[in-house]
Amino acid sequence: MRVASTTITNSMLYQMNQIEENQAQLENEATTGLAVQNPSDNPSAMRSILDLEAESSSVTQYQANITQLQQQASTGSSAMESLQTIAQSAGEIATEADGTASQPDLNNYATQVTQLIQEAAQAMNTQFEGNYLFGGTANNQPPYVVNQNSSGQVTSVDYQGNTTVPSAEIAEGVTLSVLPVGANTTGTGADGLITDSRTGADFFNHLISLQNNLLSGNTSAISATDLTNLQKDSDNITQQIATSGAVQQRMTAEAAIEQDRSASLSQLTSSQADADTAQVMEQLTQTQTAFQAAAQATAGFNDLTLSILNFLQ
Amino acid sequence: MSVGLFQVLNMASRAMDTQQAGIEVTGQNLSNVNNPNYSRQVLNISTSPSVATNIGIEGTGVQATGIQQIVSQVVNTQIQAENSASSYWQTQQQALQSAQADLGQQVTSASSNSGDSSQGIASALSNFFNDLQTLSTEPNSLSERQVVLGDAGTLASQFNQVSQQLGSLTSQLNNQLQTDVTSANQLLTNIASLNKQIAAAQINTNSSPNDLLDEREEDIENLANLTNISVTPETNSTVNISIGGVQMVSGDNVTDTMQVYDAGGGQMLVQAATAGTALTLTGGSIAGEIDARDGPVATLSGGLNTLATQIIDAVNAVHKTGYSLTGSTNALFFTGSNASDIAVNQALVNNPALLQASGVAGDTGDNTIALQMAQLANQINTGLNNQTFSQAYDGTVATLGQSLSSTDSEVGDQQTVQQMLQQQRSSISGVSLVEEMGNLSTYQNAYEASAHLMSTVDQMLQALLGIQTS
Repeated sequence: MRVASTTITNSMLYQMNQIEENQAQLENEATTGLAVQNPSDNPSAMRSILDLEAESSSVTQYQANITQLQQQASTGSSAMESLQTIAQSAGEIATEADGTASQPDLNNYATQVTQLIQEAAQAMNTQFEGNYLFGGTANNQPPYVVNQNSSGQVTSVDYQGNTTVPSAEIAEGVTLSVLPVGANTTGTGADGLITDSRTGADFFNHLISLQNNLLSGNTSAISATDLTNLQKDSDNITQQIATSGAVQQRMTAEAAIEQDRSASLSQLTSSQADADTAQVMEQLTQTQTAFQAAAQATAGFNDLTLSILNFLQ
Repeated sequence: MSVGLFQVLNMASRAMDTQQAGIEVTGQNLSNVNNPNYSRQVLNISTSPSVATNIGIEGTGVQATGIQQIVSQVVNTQIQAENSASSYWQTQQQALQSAQADLGQQVTSASSNSGDSSQGIASALSNFFNDLQTLSTEPNSLSERQVVLGDAGTLASQFNQVSQQLGSLTSQLNNQLQTDVTSANQLLTNIASLNKQIAAAQINTNSSPNDLLDEREEDIENLANLTNISVTPETNSTVNISIGGVQMVSGDNVTDTMQVYDAGGGQMLVQAATAGTALTLTGGSIAGEIDARDGPVATLSGGLNTLATQIIDAVNAVHKTGYSLTGSTNALFFTGSNASDIAVNQALVNNPALLQASGVAGDTGDNTIALQMAQLANQINTGLNNQTFSQAYDGTVATLGQSLSSTDSEVGDQQTVQQMLQQQRSSISGVSLVEEMGNLSTYQNAYEASAHLMSTVDQMLQALLGIQTS
């Protein structure tokens, strides 16, 4: 083939451009550690990466939701444990207030029960991040309001909450409620921690009854009714603590699953997006060598041309 | 009788003229060694007419018969066709690279490790729905509402920005289309004018106007860069040019021109101005601009508009049924109808309490609506080919990526083909310094020999004249 003077130069420039293009791509991969940066680098990998990132972002959010619910549940559990202690104390008072106790002793017991009612109401008005935990979705006001007479005795405890519990998503399509409401007398729906028509629990009214029977010295009513009722309340609270524990265990397990999923997704994303550094470095070295060879060949060609012209001179 | 000394003197003179012409042609070639549009020339020489003498037919030396341009019309035609193809793909590549940059969807090192893309609509979409999830855990939190509305605003503005940039890209392509059509018409005029000069030069000088042919070939190839053309050579060395089946140049006449017209809805296409025929173009930058605009760019733009519309409709449909912290209801969350005008309802931005997260009037702790809105992220939408919002967006991104990736491959292939053809043309028409230096030396030596012949004959004549005078 006949070779024109510009043929070799143009060919060399073309080859060197090709090498430089490869080199730029490899250097980019080496410095970023990514084989895919733009959609056109690898469209199907890009789609996978975006899908995986969207899924990973959801998982991170579910983890955040779980953490939020765990904190709520933990705060609620503390309140429920306080309530259980109160129920035990009330039970002990009811047991001790038998026919052998004097009225002054019974009055002292009544004062203690009044105090227990206040403590229980306080526990039921526990807040988490500004929201009341046991008022259902009516969580912007204290769920329980204690009414007292002029002597300081509790006449009633009003429930201001509702029977709807908020639930949050902990996995795709899986929602979870972590706490009971204060009272539910509808016979369906969320469990009531203080009052629940299904279990017969009505803790505040039972405590008020105990308080009043202590004050009136009606020890027979205490032993006949109040003790039994308080046992129902205690059982209900224990049941709710157990339920809360189970829910927290489930969340811990779910958090572990999400953690694994997150790690797995991260690995998958990495496998799609990341460059094989060792391979890239090897290719980069090869490309650099090719570029040096091309540059030397170009310089050699220049010398060759000069020597012919010199010869003709 | 032989031809005689005077005839030999003439022979030497013609030989010197011929070698000088050879030097001139070589000089022209050497001067144009780096001119990419130049085709090398060679001096055609032949023996001059011989004469009959008493000793037989005697030669009278050499004469130059013409200067020939060394070209391959086959290769030139292939280069014209490949120019059209290359230009078509390069124009598409540039347009799609711009679209990809406008979309701004990249994977960053941080994102591949943390699984959280730091930019692009994908990230904004995830953030918005994640914020709604967080709001569902604290439905009456004003700060969480502000976060939701802030990220919803980011999502909307990203849609607006990409939509506006894609609109600008479409306008740029339309402007470039107009510019290219103007350039093509100018080239058609130039080619017709050169046809006229070439035909005239051939009649007047009875020789090939090589430099004009080079100039016309350059114009034809530039025209091929703009659009696919059909070139038909005529016997008088002129060429006829047709574009999209419509003859544009016939000899020295421009019989038609290209014209940009609105095919409806602002879709700018090209027609033959005089014939009024819509031109179906398959190559060149003009077709590249039209196909990029109406193909991948329009698909991307349409995909984003559909996605934005679906998000607006779906989020609003749920939000309208909810109740705000003030008890108000039936408010829109997003205003607008597509990617170009999607925005967060300004009333909510001004007062985040108006965000309707609750499903029960007056029950501010209820999170039903916030949760329903959050769960839209995983909902299959029939309007998006049974995909979620993210899947639809990811598909749109991948489609653009696929278009650009295919175009990149086409451009790469075309570069290789063009390089091979250019090499082929160079091997035929390119100037070789080595060859020309050899020619120069050959002509120089021949010239010296002829001069020596003239000198020898002159001495012989002097000797002859000396005999007569003595």
